[in-house]
Amino acid sequence: MVNQRDMKPQDLGRPCEQLTQLDEVMPLSFPYDQPGMEPDFPDVKPEWREKYCTSLDGCVGIDTLRRPENENMKKEFVQKFLNGLEKVFSDANSGVLQPLQLVFEYCAKCNTCSEACHIFKASGGNELYRPIFRAEVFRKIYKKYFTKGGRLYKKYAGGDIDLNWETVARLGELAYRCNLCRRCAQTCPLGLDNSLFAKEIRKIFSQELGIAPTPLHNKGTVLQLKTGSSTGIGKAAFVDMVEFLEDDIEDRIGRRIKIPIDKQGADILLIHNAGEFVAWPENPAAFAILFDEAGVDWTLSSEMMGYDSVNYGIWYDDAQAKKIILQQMQVAKALGVKRIVIGECGHAHKAAGVVADRMIYGEDKIPVESFLPIMLDLVRSKRLKFDPSKNNFPVTLHDPCNIVRQMGIVQPQREILKVIAPQFREMTPHGVANYCCGGGSGFAIMTSPNFPQFRNKVSARMKFDQILRAFADTIAVSSVPKYVCAPCSNCKGTIRELLKYYQATAKFNVQYGGLVELMVNALVSSDKPYLEFLAE
Amino acid sequence: MILGLSVYAAGILFVVLTAYKAATYAKMPLHGRMELYPVPSERGRHIYGGSYMEEVEWWRKPHEVSKVTEIIDMMKEMLFIRKLFDNQRPFWWMSYSLHLGIYFMIAWTFLLIAGAFTDLAGLSVSAHASWWTVFLYYLTIITGAVGFILSTAGALLLLVRRIIDPILKKYTTPQEYFNLTLILAALVSGIILWSPDLTFNAARQFTADAITLSIIPNATLVIHLIILEVMFIYIPISKMSHYVGKYFSYHKVLWENAPNVVGSHMEMKVKNALSNQAKTKWSAPHMQPPAAPPKEK
Repeated sequence: MVNQRDMKPQDLGRPCEQLTQLDEVMPLSFPYDQPGMEPDFPDVKPEWREKYCTSLDGCVGIDTLRRPENENMKKEFVQKFLNGLEKVFSDANSGVLQPLQLVFEYCAKCNTCSEACHIFKASGGNELYRPIFRAEVFRKIYKKYFTKGGRLYKKYAGGDIDLNWETVARLGELAYRCNLCRRCAQTCPLGLDNSLFAKEIRKIFSQELGIAPTPLHNKGTVLQLKTGSSTGIGKAAFVDMVEFLEDDIEDRIGRRIKIPIDKQGADILLIHNAGEFVAWPENPAAFAILFDEAGVDWTLSSEMMGYDSVNYGIWYDDAQAKKIILQQMQVAKALGVKRIVIGECGHAHKAAGVVADRMIYGEDKIPVESFLPIMLDLVRSKRLKFDPSKNNFPVTLHDPCNIVRQMGIVQPQREILKVIAPQFREMTPHGVANYCCGGGSGFAIMTSPNFPQFRNKVSARMKFDQILRAFADTIAVSSVPKYVCAPCSNCKGTIRELLKYYQATAKFNVQYGGLVELMVNALVSSDKPYLEFLAE
Repeated sequence: MILGLSVYAAGILFVVLTAYKAATYAKMPLHGRMELYPVPSERGRHIYGGSYMEEVEWWRKPHEVSKVTEIIDMMKEMLFIRKLFDNQRPFWWMSYSLHLGIYFMIAWTFLLIAGAFTDLAGLSVSAHASWWTVFLYYLTIITGAVGFILSTAGALLLLVRRIIDPILKKYTTPQEYFNLTLILAALVSGIILWSPDLTFNAARQFTADAITLSIIPNATLVIHLIILEVMFIYIPISKMSHYVGKYFSYHKVLWENAPNVVGSHMEMKVKNALSNQAKTKWSAPHMQPPAAPPKEK
């Protein structure tokens, strides 16, 4: 173990069982400021140490990164990584060359970004998670192997690091200790984005070494491209689920709604994160209720790739991301819809709305918009009528990084909440300065051996603290429900796990959900509560 | 003569190498959208970080941009280093001292050139002549003194902080220490050379000599000039050329949110970018093209 305060980038390859132990995490606010309010980190099992790379911080993010059996395999692994590192600065990576070269060349290491990083802060300022730590290791390796000049000059330029299997494997793990939320880039005086290094390391691992976390790759993009959804749901099962949803809606609101599927020429193709149908069916149901009541011309698609908006490729693999984007667009084009509307999924917003914008053009590119402007339009035009007293409990809003900081969709959700939630209060900070939920860039779905502990105790810690502070006035009053509105599937999943881990629902009645559920709960037309915790 | 020409050569190389650096970045391929909000050109929405994507069917509506708010934000960053001020105040004092000092030094250089031409025209720059010569005389003194003090203090403090701060020390390479030391050396040698005459008449005389290629060398002057010229040539090829990088990182990355809509300039750029096939290929199994179906016999 290296004392984290003394740790420097050159230590990444240092031979030791584990570089750091996460034992000085940031204190939480009341009532979690008392001892015994949160579980400790579990010990790392010996078999995990043998099998995976636990030598960074004891956590395993990449379950497919296995310890090699012999020295030759280790050497081959390092060489492949170097090949990938070289390609990152080649025409194979043209979609990011300029921003990457800028941050590679110009970072002044002024350390302004550290204070902006929720993981660094939540870890109690552990050196390993300082945004420039990962960046500097990347830079050092590149300078050592790809800078022209002799050994002395390379050292002078910063190329002074030992490269071995452990260095590369730990760097791979370290790439999955950043949520890619880009809050650090927002504060950089030179406008540089240190999270790019995390993304590029992930890309080298996936696109060159063929190594990526199973939930992102094999059970993520690969499964989606094979079956149409990362949930593995095929067309027939999807159609069944929609029928079930219609029954569920009838049970909930007392009237049956016909959910349109594959309606040719509809105005809107609504694409949800398919995980919603499995984990939170009340969310797509709420969309159906709202669109039906407002008389919107919309449809779902049951075609392969048309019913799952997710695109995990944007977190680790450009090629997978592009394949998914192109196929989703093809579905929309074949249906003849005028626009694609993305449901409550932050990364899907970014993938289809922003990343796709430079991957396709002309008639093949169907316009994409967020569900938020259209929902606000329905509220403003009074096509939906609300009784805000139905939502008369404290509500706070989580801003998904992809929708807010990275797309500038800030006000519509706030305007809606002001209409439907009389006790709405902001988190601090909020809007474009928000903190990531801690589940961004795949963390929400990464379940390998002990990664959820890292998420719950470190990456999502700042969000949990924000939630506690937002509800400071009623947190101890368990009779008052408190609602965290998180209009994004991955954020919602992260918050669900957080509330379970800290027993915040059981002890303090902190609830969570999306925005549309809250809207339906406040509809004048609805006789009984839509939110289950109100019905109990 | 050679000394005079070297001054011109260093100046020309600074401009040419800077232009080359800018051209290198400008010629890089179109990258994916990576804007971060607030984007200052978003008219009316930049205050809270909003964008055109807050509108229903935004592609049917004009993208309302404001160059004024973009320029105001740009000036705040250029003139005040606002992000550092907002996010790391102690460091800002040092960095701003250096940068403001450099701005003063640039102004001082132009005042020296103006003074040299005035002298060469036969109007002696002094405290007792026309308003123009008096103006140049006093402004040169103030600008030079403030410039030397601020930039030297800033460079020194930044260097000392990098040496003693346990965090920054870990991340600073020998090359980065050299960069700050080079600036400091140019400033200190300049102070040694010009401080005996705080009216800067000697500096003005040197400028006139440089213009007419008739510099009279002495040891202190030659040492200062060599350091200064090395610095001018070195800056554009080092990370100190961040005045180039900062333009691209803000205007072409963080603030670039032009949508690719039908018939737009961006659509053409995307079309061109997508027509270029990469020669370098990734090696992972899933990155390989699908195997061709077996030929029928």
